[in-house]
Amino acid sequence: MADAAIHGHGEHDTRGFFTRWFMSTNHKDIGILYLITSAIVGLIAVSFTVYMRLELMDPGVQYMCLEGARLIPGAVEECTPNGHLWNVLITAHGVLMMFFVVIPALFGGFGNYFMPLQIGAPDMAFPRLNNLSFWLYVTGTSLAVASVLSPGGNGQLGSGVGWVLYPPLSTSEGGYSMDLAIFAVHVSGASSILGAINMITTFLNMRAPGMTLHKVPLFSWSIFVTAWLILLALPVLAGAITMLLTDRNFGTTFFQPEGGGDPILYQHILWFFGHPEVYIVILPGFGIASHVISTFSRKPIFGYLPMVYAMVAIGVLGFVVWAHHMYTVGMSLTQQSYFMLATMVIAVPTGIKIFSWIATMWGGSIEFKTPMLFAIGFVFLFTIGGVTGVVLSQAGVDRAYHDTYYVVAHFHYTMSMGAAFCIFAGIYYYLGKMSGRQYPEMLGKLHFWMFFIGVNLTFFPQHFLGRQGMPRRYIDYPEAFAHWNEISSYGALLSFASFLLFFGIVFYTLFAGKRVTENNYWNEHADTLEWTLPSPPPEHTFETLPKREDWDKGHAH
Amino acid sequence: MPHEWETNAKGAPEKSGAFSFKAGDPPMAVLHLWPYRSLPRRGFVWFIGLTFALLSVPLIAVVGSPVLWGLLPFELAALGLMWWLLERSYRDAELIEELKLWSDRIELTRHEPRRAPQHWQANPYWVSVHLHPTGGPVENYVTLKGGDREVEIGAFLTPEERARLHGELQDHLRRLR
Repeated sequence: MADAAIHGHGEHDTRGFFTRWFMSTNHKDIGILYLITSAIVGLIAVSFTVYMRLELMDPGVQYMCLEGARLIPGAVEECTPNGHLWNVLITAHGVLMMFFVVIPALFGGFGNYFMPLQIGAPDMAFPRLNNLSFWLYVTGTSLAVASVLSPGGNGQLGSGVGWVLYPPLSTSEGGYSMDLAIFAVHVSGASSILGAINMITTFLNMRAPGMTLHKVPLFSWSIFVTAWLILLALPVLAGAITMLLTDRNFGTTFFQPEGGGDPILYQHILWFFGHPEVYIVILPGFGIASHVISTFSRKPIFGYLPMVYAMVAIGVLGFVVWAHHMYTVGMSLTQQSYFMLATMVIAVPTGIKIFSWIATMWGGSIEFKTPMLFAIGFVFLFTIGGVTGVVLSQAGVDRAYHDTYYVVAHFHYTMSMGAAFCIFAGIYYYLGKMSGRQYPEMLGKLHFWMFFIGVNLTFFPQHFLGRQGMPRRYIDYPEAFAHWNEISSYGALLSFASFLLFFGIVFYTLFAGKRVTENNYWNEHADTLEWTLPSPPPEHTFETLPKREDWDKGHAH
Repeated sequence: MPHEWETNAKGAPEKSGAFSFKAGDPPMAVLHLWPYRSLPRRGFVWFIGLTFALLSVPLIAVVGSPVLWGLLPFELAALGLMWWLLERSYRDAELIEELKLWSDRIELTRHEPRRAPQHWQANPYWVSVHLHPTGGPVENYVTLKGGDREVEIGAFLTPEERARLHGELQDHLRRLR
């Protein structure tokens, strides 16, 4: 029998540094580990792009030379363009950002930390599995970085086949760098699937008594839908790249025409995973933006139920539109018409969300704190990315825009701005909660404006370049494209500066920020359960079930 | 609320002064307590069904090609793992505390998954119920004192439920004496 323990001792954390951070099974610690790791990987992936933007700043190749990559531009005459290095960098940027930065930050980081808190669960359903997910993610990251530095195609290091790993390019790339990249995606896929199952079980089975599905906070809902998408999409990717691996190494011909295989089929299953993937990237951001906008408009979120079902609808529709990424592979007219119409339908639930956010702000007493600036920036820029998405969804128009910078601009508006703005909104919103110290508001706003201007300067001109016909994935371009490329590169430098400032702000906050004393340092509209806890929350939370009045605010929905 | 009483109504004993519910008779009351789980079984069926349906969508595209056999194992493994881990989460919560009351005996058994059941028994005459609003590991901690030691009961319930449980336990003990 469980003996009574009446003289319970106060909470004290007796774990040593190594035990706490390396063997952690605590969802809050693992969430922080995810955030830190993804920030470091993000810095690597961003520095790759900055180097690429430097190369594209002027026509001709000044940095990525066969004679050796340079940091100081050299004369064009002394430089033989090294296209392989360029290809390796775009591949690494894509793989790292898609698999190892945005999903781990939003889903692994914020999801782990706040989803159990919002539903009043003491921890995840399977804490040790959670630890396994995190370390598999670290392993995958290491493999991805190792792939960049190991022998690959063209007798050089790394493989340059694009993050989509299309055969036959990926199956004929030399060296073992490509195999490492495939293993990296495998391991990160296993990590994501285990994490997703853990999140789903926690969400379904560990909600506080009385918290029905229609009362769960929007961020937790977004994490659940995301987890479900991961569970449905990632096994397909795992299967696809396993077949790539056997095609490369064991002589199978799943995707080799000479053996009766079909490379187009790879594209189909890759995008069957790849399209849900972009919603996996953005959905948790939707959740964070909803809470931030509601808090700083001092109004409950407008249309809670439509918001929930819009997320579910976006998730489900995301599975039936994949071939809009490949209009040019020779599908029948009927197939193209279907994928075009299905794609446009997604604009409806997305529109519901956008309008609900605007309606939440409407008539509210808006406070332009840093998280709110990032959230409004997200709504604005994500809408631009969505509108260019509707343009690209048309099979006829896509003939002209396919593989141009218009596409690059489109998906960076949804992801580099949509998802990244949400990550920053979430960090500034929750930094005080997680660390117990508040960031300096002035510097946060400076970060916002630098980042906002920087990314727009980077990516808006790329629409023009795309319309002028500049193709993606090339190291060089004719002089006619020089003007907007130069401006775009200035924007990239400004964005990079703001990213470095962000690291500065976080370090300043962690070591010298003003201490947070209240549980809820925003206002009463930040009304989910995490705001009833001290900042930072103790090691163990909600071991005793939360009271209903703590989370069931009559005004909220 | 995850606790329930089964009481056994029975008239007064024929011989005055004798116990109505002697050890060996069916107990006067049995109390079951278990932790709350938020997913009903019906929800489990819906979730697994929908997941299966959506997992089948990409398979339609590859029917008739060897690629089907490359995808199928991963799809089924994901579904199987999801199923198994949800079941496991139900099993983790198959924690039941059972309290049986007789006139001369009180028995508490705690059944935990993957552990041997734990027992405690005492004579109700000496048993007292305590409510610790603070100071315990949880708010409104309820303990039973008697026999050889003091034991907790219903630590996994909500504080309000435990407060109610405390009252009900006292009522039942009073009726026994």
